[in-house]
Amino acid sequence: MTTATDAPILAVENLVTAFRTGGGWHPAVRDVSFAVQRNETLAIVGESGCGKSVTALSIMGLVPPANGRVAGGHIRFAGRDLVGLDEEEMRKIRGDRISMIFQEPMTSLNPVLTIGFQIAEALHYHRDMGRGEANAAALELLDQVKIPSARQRFADYPHQFSGGMRQRVMIAMALACRPELLLADEPTTALDVTIQAQVLSLLAELKAAYGMAMIFITHNLGVVASIADRVAVMYAGEIVEIAPVNELFARPTHPYTELLLRSIPRVDRDTGGLSAITGQVPAIGAMPSGCRFAARCPLREPICTARDPLLVPLADAPDHRVRCWLRAPPSEMASEAGHA
Amino acid sequence: MGEAGVPHEFGRAFTDDNVPHPTLPRKRGRDDDCTPMSADSVVLRRGSSYAFQQLARAFNANATSWIGLIAFLVIVALAVLAPLISPYDPLDQDILARLEGPSVAHWFGTDSYGRDILSRLLWGARLSLVISTVSILAAMLIGGVIGILSGYVGGRFDMVVMQAMDVLLSFPSLIMGLMVVAMLGASMGNLMIAIALTAIAPFARIARAPTILVKERDYIEACRALGYSDLRIMTIHILPNIVAEILVMASLWLATAIRIEASLSFIGLGVRPPTATWGGMIREGFENILDSASLSIFPSLAILLVVFSLNMLGDGLRDAIDPKLRGGE
Amino acid sequence: MLGYIVKRLLLAIPTLFAVLTIVFVLARVLPGDPAQTILGDQASQEALENMRHRLGVDKPIGAQYVDFLVNAVRGEWGNSLVTGKPVVEEVSNVLPYTIDLTVTSIVLGALVGVPLGVWSALRRNTWVDYVARMGSLLGLSFPAFVSAILLLLAFAIELRWFPVISTGKGLNSLVLPAVNLGIIMAAYVTRVTRSSMLEVLGEDYIRTARAKGVPTRAVIWRHAFRNGLIPVVTVVGLYLGILIGNSVLTEIVFNRPGLGKLIVSALNQRDYTVLQGMMVVYAFAIVLVNLLTDLTYGFIDPRVKRQ
Repeated sequence: MTTATDAPILAVENLVTAFRTGGGWHPAVRDVSFAVQRNETLAIVGESGCGKSVTALSIMGLVPPANGRVAGGHIRFAGRDLVGLDEEEMRKIRGDRISMIFQEPMTSLNPVLTIGFQIAEALHYHRDMGRGEANAAALELLDQVKIPSARQRFADYPHQFSGGMRQRVMIAMALACRPELLLADEPTTALDVTIQAQVLSLLAELKAAYGMAMIFITHNLGVVASIADRVAVMYAGEIVEIAPVNELFARPTHPYTELLLRSIPRVDRDTGGLSAITGQVPAIGAMPSGCRFAARCPLREPICTARDPLLVPLADAPDHRVRCWLRAPPSEMASEAGHA
Repeated sequence: MGEAGVPHEFGRAFTDDNVPHPTLPRKRGRDDDCTPMSADSVVLRRGSSYAFQQLARAFNANATSWIGLIAFLVIVALAVLAPLISPYDPLDQDILARLEGPSVAHWFGTDSYGRDILSRLLWGARLSLVISTVSILAAMLIGGVIGILSGYVGGRFDMVVMQAMDVLLSFPSLIMGLMVVAMLGASMGNLMIAIALTAIAPFARIARAPTILVKERDYIEACRALGYSDLRIMTIHILPNIVAEILVMASLWLATAIRIEASLSFIGLGVRPPTATWGGMIREGFENILDSASLSIFPSLAILLVVFSLNMLGDGLRDAIDPKLRGGE
Repeated sequence: MLGYIVKRLLLAIPTLFAVLTIVFVLARVLPGDPAQTILGDQASQEALENMRHRLGVDKPIGAQYVDFLVNAVRGEWGNSLVTGKPVVEEVSNVLPYTIDLTVTSIVLGALVGVPLGVWSALRRNTWVDYVARMGSLLGLSFPAFVSAILLLLAFAIELRWFPVISTGKGLNSLVLPAVNLGIIMAAYVTRVTRSSMLEVLGEDYIRTARAKGVPTRAVIWRHAFRNGLIPVVTVVGLYLGILIGNSVLTEIVFNRPGLGKLIVSALNQRDYTVLQGMMVVYAFAIVLVNLLTDLTYGFIDPRVKRQ
């Protein structure tokens, strides 16, 4: 196994996040493990409801306490385990060392506060800056995210901006304190395609300039190809495949990944029709035993419904791990879901 | 209480997209203009069994509605049985026993003519319940018809009718009741008219909203092509979807109706004495407040009990109903 | 901001005329011949004709309408049929009392209701929430005169803290009536604040604020509260209609001078001109309240100003 030469900035180990539904607690995310290196972009891909957002929120400690909780595992960030950290300590980390941007730019900004204020706020709380100083820094950030006429627009309100611009504001907000890790939860999904490209390139630029690591959540494999270093594919709350990006696209191993890639419409090929994956993601309270994808998997064998498969590295590509009895049977050597 | 299991603390309940997580609410479809969801995206069902299902679910969501319902039914039972269980004739005077407090002979005391308060309370209950029930039923019927018609016909007619409803709505209920009774004279019938008038507009509005939604559906065209009469369309397709909401409005307005009737009686514009009315009894109590507290307190408690139980019923149900189904409040 | 204010003021004028028109229509709807009401059944035809001429009801309806509008705005509302004094005078005699009472109750209601509503939303489904919800439901269930009488019994008669029969002047006679109306107001405000805060707390931008590491206190008061206040303002404006009804009852119970008692006695005595004057007052009040509500929105919600 390759050992990382630098310690990863984030190491998630066996994360379990559960929600209370219909009287009982059910895990929405189960046994999720991955690591992110500094300056690396990890993409998390999957269908809606597969747990990618939940994972990000768990890292941030933003799982709504009324009905959800992190029920197990560890989230190691810069040497500390974020699970079980007390709220005040967690608050200091949020927005400062780990930031998050969200999917809906139209509703993610407070309508009654100016955008300048909302950007400066993080600096005020985390860097103890006074208003003047924070405002100046916020103005600079607005420039960096390429908001035209930043000075005039500083005191404007969110409703005076378009969707793409608001997302830039969100980025400015998130990056104000130069976090070491950025969680991006489908930041471009709600935007026009042309704006998407702009925002993505802005993110890439800033990430390089700030030396940030990034976890990019999306259901769009096309986006993944252009920005990710590594990709994790999630299904029904579990990681089913994780690999460097080129490796994943060249050799999709898990049946689900394969089907996902095949279902992307291609302009250059005549496939004679769109293919979709039949069936639906199982409900959180009705998870089948064994492999969760088995019901929809064309390769299904008896062992698949009998026991849960483990996330196991491929024999010839140790940093490519797959959770499938058939495609990645565990050898004697590598039989535990480890870090990569 | 209410929305079972929906995480509502800080932070929006997250969904990756619109596929329903079993506990989390569907994200509303929004676009940049914040235009409301199109008619097609709201689910309407048909049939009376759906109506019952919805009702049952709403009731079972929390305890308040049950408590309210049971309390109210108890009072209704007492009122219905008044002729049988009333210890005295409510009009029976006993001047020697004026303004007495509670005693063995008169559990709640006597009023300024020596009449038994308990008996008068029971009979007053009948009166209040009859007046409020009839007026609210009338309002439901008339308001419902107006609302459905208005929504269905649409266009100018709809606009005019809704403006009229808005005007009606902007009048405080009590003042409107005052004016109507003052104009027409104080009698049971006029009281009912007055109260019904104040309640028509809200019912019209909740009947109108789903009507409009249904009207815009393509399958209405299909129904018409099949020869369904408009009336049938309205009964089968529209009504089941608003049943629960109507029930909420009905309970809450019943409570208001009882309050208005009592207030009007208190002012002196209710059913004329010596008929026993709760409001009238309180007025008497007010006039004799230094001599007897019972005459003020017991009818007050009675009114409070009824209104509160109805409010609990309506409120409990309303909490349980999906807020998206609420139309014009 | 100034532009917004001016715009709203200008819009208020046609609204005022619309409402006055409605008042005019309603006044004409009252059945019966006003001349007959005043002079009684025994009056001669000639006397009736004279009276009708004096009242101006023999003119064509269009002319009546114009007269009405002009007079309403100029404050010439005729004389009371009962006392003979100008209606304007009758109204302005009692108006200060009503204003005192109304403003005090609104302030009381808001001071109690808003914090309670916020607290209740933050402690959702705990005993605090439950008590607040049941309590406010109970508060709403009291007809205003019931709570007034109970207050009178408890605090004026039993405890003797306040005069039983008040003159209407001074703080002493304001307390109980204001508390009475204030309680009901607080009940409404608590409920709407609670539900509004709950909705706001579930919004995306609150999650963003938390993700930035904003401390909880600031999240609630700086981020959530201002947004949550918007529906509360609406409700307070709407509530004014109910407040009028309730103050009528309150003024009766506490024997307090005010528009409420004026209306009731006018209704009882069929004082036609006073009634009409009252409705004009009501029209002005509606427009004023709408204006105030709109201005408050403009103050709280930046989206409104910059249209």
